[in-house]
Amino acid sequence: MIVDLLPSEEQQLIDDSVRALLAERLPVERLRETASHGGAAERAAWGDFVALGLFGIGIAEADGGHGLGAAEEALVARALGRHLVSLSVLAQMAAPHLATDDALRTRLISGETRATFATVVDQGTAQRIDGDNADWLILLGEGVALVDVPAEAAPIACLDETVSLARLDGSFPAFERADSADRISLLLAAYLSGIAQATLDMAVAYAATREQFGQPIGAFQAIKHMCADMAVRGAAAEAQVLHAAVAFGAGLDDRAEVACARLLATDAALRNANANIQIHGAMGFTAECDAHLYLKRARLVSVLGSSRQAEQERLLAGVA
Amino acid sequence: MRIIGTPELTAFRDQCRTWLGENAPAKPWPMDGEALRDFDLAWQRRQYEGGWAGVSWPKDYGGLGLSLLEQLVWHEEYARAGAPQSRSMFVALSHAGPTLIVQGSEAQKQRHLLPILKGEENWCQGFSEPGAGSDLSNLKTRAEIDGESLIVNGTKIWTTYGHLARWQELLVRTDPEAPRHKGISWVICDMRSPGIEVRPIVTMSGIAHFAQVFYDNVRIPLSNVVGGLHNGWKVAMTTLGFERGTGTIAHQYELARTVDELITMARDLPSSDGRGRAIDDGTTATDLATLRAEVMALRSLAAMTISRGLRQAVPGAEGNIAALYYAELTRRVHAAALDLLGPRGLERTGGHDWPLAFLESFKWGIGGGTSEIRRNTIGERVLGLPKGPSAR
Repeated sequence: MIVDLLPSEEQQLIDDSVRALLAERLPVERLRETASHGGAAERAAWGDFVALGLFGIGIAEADGGHGLGAAEEALVARALGRHLVSLSVLAQMAAPHLATDDALRTRLISGETRATFATVVDQGTAQRIDGDNADWLILLGEGVALVDVPAEAAPIACLDETVSLARLDGSFPAFERADSADRISLLLAAYLSGIAQATLDMAVAYAATREQFGQPIGAFQAIKHMCADMAVRGAAAEAQVLHAAVAFGAGLDDRAEVACARLLATDAALRNANANIQIHGAMGFTAECDAHLYLKRARLVSVLGSSRQAEQERLLAGVA
Repeated sequence: MRIIGTPELTAFRDQCRTWLGENAPAKPWPMDGEALRDFDLAWQRRQYEGGWAGVSWPKDYGGLGLSLLEQLVWHEEYARAGAPQSRSMFVALSHAGPTLIVQGSEAQKQRHLLPILKGEENWCQGFSEPGAGSDLSNLKTRAEIDGESLIVNGTKIWTTYGHLARWQELLVRTDPEAPRHKGISWVICDMRSPGIEVRPIVTMSGIAHFAQVFYDNVRIPLSNVVGGLHNGWKVAMTTLGFERGTGTIAHQYELARTVDELITMARDLPSSDGRGRAIDDGTTATDLATLRAEVMALRSLAAMTISRGLRQAVPGAEGNIAALYYAELTRRVHAAALDLLGPRGLERTGGHDWPLAFLESFKWGIGGGTSEIRRNTIGERVLGLPKGPSAR
């Protein structure tokens, strides 16, 4: 099978317009202000997302969407990851796929009704992410489900302080894994590959300009090779995410392809975020340098409806 | 971003699959010496007679002149069929031949190209020297002009299958006064010339993979210079840009098959504590799942290289990413095989010689550019980082 992994003109246009919007409305520096946390900056830009048609991009035209596929969704999710955009935006893209009635789907695509992710901790507990004014929850476990928001939510401090985390008590039964769970996992993998790429860019920019011993630190092989390894991890994760996105729904082994994308993108995001901090030296350990924001977000996404062990089982199951 | 498929390509794929299914030789194959060379030549001859030689070569020189998409289909089917890799024919088919096609004179092309496709003659590469490995442009082998000849003195090393080759693409210094990249020539060297001595070098796997070649006043006709006197560096570099992702497909399939085989073995073998199957052990499962993920990513990286190849004729330095990934991964896969097998992994018997594959896996991070040089190249030419002291 020959797969073209580079964007077509139309796909490039989508990627460019999303990136342009994010560069203007949601630069990563916004997260230095607590007023932007918890998805607040994204809520302020909500109308722009709707105008771009982001929330119905992968929904069939007959169902009120734009009739594009997982590949285009993955491009958008990757761009969102680069900007550490609130996961509520990703959830809003995923939710119309899970809506079973037309009216709800329409309201989700138009952005009037809001959805957000919640990850299942155990049968009686879940964590809601950036859901301060969410109407619906996408519960992420082994399987996924779109459910009403429970009344009670207890805010709780999060490793990623730019996120609004709330503890939900209720009944969260295990759902069987279906294609929709793989589709969301693919979106999260794409988001993580965006983090891997953004941290690489940040590390390379710093290594090329920061001078010690009379030359840029990027001239030293110890730093250059770290950057090269970041590039390799980022490229492998990105290529696999795009491959899985192109192949999704084409009658191939979606589950193993997505598991592979998720596993490698998680690994690339976490390790590149670590390396980026290290390359920034003491500056990388400070709050004013954005490097820590990528690490915290990568940690958060890595546990959403996924575990290394679960991805491994899906990968091994794929071998006949 | 899409799956590329047309009815024509599908029909072509069926043709490839049918022919390869009926003609690809079955394992085991000779792994060393003249038996290896004779096997490789015979397989090449079979492809020529079957009308499948030189898929990427122009029709004017006996090739098939296929489009890049058709070449990709051929290489995929070749890999899927588990057909033998070109080994002692590799330099002739993938390096010297393509160089001659672009840079050779008409007479050079007429003399050399068809015997390659017909499996009559193979080639080796005389680039590296004891003092010029990663730093290739430091090469010292001299060639002095004497009338219509070059007189070559010096030595080449790590010449893969040098002891089994009929011809050599040889880089020599023809102008010692010129800057190091400028005074080099690319010449066709007859390995049967008087004054050539070839000493095979046995590797850690016990196989004589490569050789050191000594040149003692070896006379080579000036008409064997390719692409102009003193222009050899450029000639050599143009061919290095030929790789558009087709050449690695076979290796990638082979590695994926190996990982699948390991997973299957782990379901059958008892665990080290004897209380279950090896796959039930958490560490083993983690290792194998990770390797499977990485071979899938290797395929995706190759697809990315190919996607770039479909858009631009001369690929950039990004190809080093997939090459580095493969080099590191193949070592881990074969180390994992020995981990899984335990004491059985010491035994060089049976259908799959795991110890041999393990020892052989070390070559990928060294030959054709060490992993460290590849990291430099990725850092400098892909990421744009400043050059280090050694590369200035």
